[in-house]
Amino acid sequence: MTADKRLARFLVRGSALLILLLVFWWFLLLNPLLFLLRDSAEIFGSLILGDDSRQFVTETPSGDWSFRVPLEVAMPPIERAAMPLALEQVPLPGVVAPRLPQQSGPLQIHSIDFDIARSDVNAFTFSLPVFWAIVLAAPGIRRSLRPLIFGTILVAILEIVLLLIFVEISARNAAAQLAPQSGWTKWFLHFGEYLVVNVIPYAAPFPIALSVHRELRSQFFRWGEGTPIPGGRRPGLQSGAARNGRPRSKKQRRRDMGPARQS
Amino acid sequence: MLLTPPVQAVDRQFSRVLVKVSHGLIGICGGHARVEGAVLRDPATGFAVEMRDGCNAVNVTILLWSAVLAFPAPWRLKALGLLAGSLLIQAVNIVRFISLFYIGQYSMTWFDFAHGYLWESLLVLDTMVVFCLWANRASRYGAVPNDSR
Repeated sequence: MTADKRLARFLVRGSALLILLLVFWWFLLLNPLLFLLRDSAEIFGSLILGDDSRQFVTETPSGDWSFRVPLEVAMPPIERAAMPLALEQVPLPGVVAPRLPQQSGPLQIHSIDFDIARSDVNAFTFSLPVFWAIVLAAPGIRRSLRPLIFGTILVAILEIVLLLIFVEISARNAAAQLAPQSGWTKWFLHFGEYLVVNVIPYAAPFPIALSVHRELRSQFFRWGEGTPIPGGRRPGLQSGAARNGRPRSKKQRRRDMGPARQS
Repeated sequence: MLLTPPVQAVDRQFSRVLVKVSHGLIGICGGHARVEGAVLRDPATGFAVEMRDGCNAVNVTILLWSAVLAFPAPWRLKALGLLAGSLLIQAVNIVRFISLFYIGQYSMTWFDFAHGYLWESLLVLDTMVVFCLWANRASRYGAVPNDSR
């Protein structure tokens, strides 16, 4: 089978599996995965970002996720005066509003509470079915079993890390409404949020699948095989002797033609 | 660069062009829709979809361009890969946009699913395969040095 046909078959299988597995994920797997993600975020978030006074993440009655992130913010008096206005603004899509203690005088904030809509957290479970679809689209399900398990663990770890980064960025964005930040910091947070929410969850399953699945990798990166080349052989297929200008022996020619032509 | 104001302006114009093309295709196939800038609206139901940043497949096109430009191939083949690959991705994206226009009129739950997750991952998969098909041809006809064999 030529490389083009292999890739075309992979595209068809991968697309079909993506549709099937994403529908399966959307209707059946989403809730269990969100439950696991919340518990994992609670454990790792408390260790890395949280404090002991309150749970790092809790679920509100509406199903949204409520976070408390320790963050030292010194609020200038002018910003303190403008706080009611700041609280009316929604800092991020999905982030409801920072909740601040009501008191007068100078204010040092030690932590920020905010809610993230449940629909926004879905993206942090979505990489798993995409990864499964890519690995299962490779020929030979038995050979895909080990990469499937190993890659699933990698993707799951990545999703927890991405969620924690998103939570930290959201907390800093909320804090930015109370204490002004430099233009560069704002841009950096915006860029980081874009990567964490819109790029990495969608793109990461592909390089992870290629890195853990040797056969899939070799299928993808076996450039230029399977079709006779007009105008002679490619330099990459020539043996060392041929490259040096000397004629190749029969054995060398057999070796060059043999395994490289199999697909 | 996508997030800088000058590129954003070009990006928005490009989205409007894609919406016009989608509108033309719907008209050719006998459907009814109205264009309002980057918004495609159904005159009967009032349902509308807007092509915003990220909906015009520019991000995956950039991904393809990066891969093609980084691949060791002659410039003629690279130019061909950039052009043909971008056209293919945009063709898939127009199918995506039109399908979302109709899915949204049927069910918003399915629209959210197809818009946020399904089509996004299909586009990335298509981009990856388009790049591999191009790289395969480029190395077959472009005499790419391949010492790793």
